[in-house]
Amino acid sequence: MPDLTGPDPAATDSLTAQGVFFDGRSSRDHPATLLLDGDQVRVRLGAQAEHHWRADQVTLEAALPGVRRSLSFPDGSRFETPDDAAIRAWEQRHGRNRLLGGVRRLESSWGTALGAVAVTGAVLWAFVTFGVPALARQAAAVTPVGVLATFDRETLQVLEGQNLIGPSELSAARQAQLQAALRDVSGWAGGPYGYRLLLRDGEPAGSSGLGANAFALPNGTVVMTDQLVALARSDRELVGVLAHEAGHVTQRHGLASVYQALGLSLIVTALTGDIVSATTFAAAVPVALVQGGYSRAAETQSDEVAARFMLERYRTTRPLQAILARLEAQDGGPGGVPDLLGTHPGTDARIEHLKQLEDAAR
Amino acid sequence: MTDPALPRAPEPTVPAPGTAVPGRHDLPSGPERLPAPERAAPQVTTYPVSFTGSAGEYFRLWIVNAALSVVTLGIYLPWARVRNRQYFYGHTWVDGHNFEYRANPLKLLRSYVVVGALFGAYTLSQQSERWWWLSALIALAFALLYPWLVAQSMRFQAVNTTHRGLRFHFDGSVKGAYVAYGAANVAASLSGGLALPWAWFMQRRYQVNNLSYGSARGNFRGDVAPMYLIALTGVGLLVGAGLLLAVPAVVALVAWMAGSGFDLDSMDWESLGSGLFFFIFLAVGYVILIALNGVAWQYVRAATMRYVLNNTELGGVVRAGATFNPWRVVWITVSNGAAQLLTLGLATPWADIRRNRYLLEGVSVRAIASLDDFAGGAGGPESALGEAATELLDIGLGF
Repeated sequence: MPDLTGPDPAATDSLTAQGVFFDGRSSRDHPATLLLDGDQVRVRLGAQAEHHWRADQVTLEAALPGVRRSLSFPDGSRFETPDDAAIRAWEQRHGRNRLLGGVRRLESSWGTALGAVAVTGAVLWAFVTFGVPALARQAAAVTPVGVLATFDRETLQVLEGQNLIGPSELSAARQAQLQAALRDVSGWAGGPYGYRLLLRDGEPAGSSGLGANAFALPNGTVVMTDQLVALARSDRELVGVLAHEAGHVTQRHGLASVYQALGLSLIVTALTGDIVSATTFAAAVPVALVQGGYSRAAETQSDEVAARFMLERYRTTRPLQAILARLEAQDGGPGGVPDLLGTHPGTDARIEHLKQLEDAAR
Repeated sequence: MTDPALPRAPEPTVPAPGTAVPGRHDLPSGPERLPAPERAAPQVTTYPVSFTGSAGEYFRLWIVNAALSVVTLGIYLPWARVRNRQYFYGHTWVDGHNFEYRANPLKLLRSYVVVGALFGAYTLSQQSERWWWLSALIALAFALLYPWLVAQSMRFQAVNTTHRGLRFHFDGSVKGAYVAYGAANVAASLSGGLALPWAWFMQRRYQVNNLSYGSARGNFRGDVAPMYLIALTGVGLLVGAGLLLAVPAVVALVAWMAGSGFDLDSMDWESLGSGLFFFIFLAVGYVILIALNGVAWQYVRAATMRYVLNNTELGGVVRAGATFNPWRVVWITVSNGAAQLLTLGLATPWADIRRNRYLLEGVSVRAIASLDDFAGGAGGPESALGEAATELLDIGLGF
């Protein structure tokens, strides 16, 4: 094979690199020289043999710090070299690995690494704070009403199956009064929902049930316990609670929380790379905290709906404030396990917010 | 190919890579045991495996790629995964040559999308009564396809691993996968875990025996009994440590109850203090149980890996050897987990490098032929779907 490495006019253009050549048929390493000039890629093995390819026949893996560069050729052979500088020059000249070359530059400095920490943290924070709730709201808004009815039915089955609620002991007349109150509230709140009020005993099996409580299911089923009715000192207080629950229904909070939980679990999976391991388990606490934050936001929103209704009807939000305060006193006081995992935290803040809404309406 | 007389001494003779030293052990000289009969006097050379990755360098690579994945809403994720893995392969050296990982991120992306969509459909349909059959269908399809997915994943991993210009490949049959990962797992769960070590044995044997480097085929010389020994050690650890922690805790609880006038007969849960105390007691006990379970499981993984490496040979001329201590691996994993938790995951690159370095520095390769003498073989087809499924769904493959 003729010697082509003599001084030639294109020498400024040519690059050489020392490395090893593998023929792709055996694991034997041959010391070799890579010569790159123009469109030609040549591998010289000692004095006896030379292989050559066109630049576009060469597959060049993107660079990694501290790792040999490797060029592979169509016949399965390859050349590996620690001489990154020469390969990089050739890479740039031929426009190879532009994107990953850029990534490599980002990886090489501590400044961009710290920037990446900040960007990752900020994007995750923004996505969890704004993106997930927005997406969940959107998904909840487009979910057909037929699906909502299924949710209501299934949730009630679970609650009754676990003996958390039982038949109400209120008189028929009292129940009819409260039904009328819900019709008033739901007529005002509107929407294509199947509103109905279910009065239930919150402690059918002793103190293990729901206690004094009220909640709304996605399709407008509002469950209110005898214990809450007993706690109220006026019907206006109960109307306030019903308006609050109607707010949950029209804002589709129940469904949104399902989607939010799904979104968070997907994020955790993407971050930790798996679905069932200990890292996912460890992420359960932050996820629960974030969920708590979402439900606080939902409470605030529903309080605002209730406040609008009460200001329209009674020109005050005080009944709702009063029953909230009494619920808080009952939960936190002696005689019961504190509501450690409750979804109605921050009662003081909620009462304060209701006061502000009332002041603003004046 | 089985060659029980080959040395198994753990003390590695470590010459400079590439220099052959005469075997110090009695080696069989029968030519039928060797692939190259003209080599009359086999020599054993030990090649240490070394790992040259550094935590600082890998941290920058990891966080930049993580940020790119986040900014591109996950589209870059396969590139990030491939790059991370390439770093580990590229910094793993045997006899002066490093490994290379060459998976195509575009293929992985397509599979990630498919697996992600299926998982999303599964989770969504689980929420509603009308679509429950869809989630059941997806779960059933996954259970039925699981062994096939595992085989696909191993094929993908092997074909994309290169060393000294030659590819690995994996040609385990689908039938074999259904025996090792289907029937064996079913037997393990039906027997209440009694057959689980046997299932591990079947799975490791399937993995090693179907792996080849060039045309040299892997051979697993291990047995079932050591798997049971490993499992018993794990169970013993769980039970022993559990009792060690639970007995004093229960004694303390009873003493505290008696001291505070708590009457077990009346079950007076109305008293606020005892209710709260009991709740915390249960929560702490639960967390300790989870942690112990993790420790036992890590021990089983590390000990199995060591056993498999010590009983793996390639083409009848190369044998892997592992001297790392499984308990040390458990300690590294536990302390890594704590560091990752405390740094909100930022210590992950450091933890990965630390674990990998300890493992690989305890691994060596002994050969009675030059590592130059392997010949290439045909690479099978590859599919990224199994890889994506096993990676996203964290199917533990043992290695």
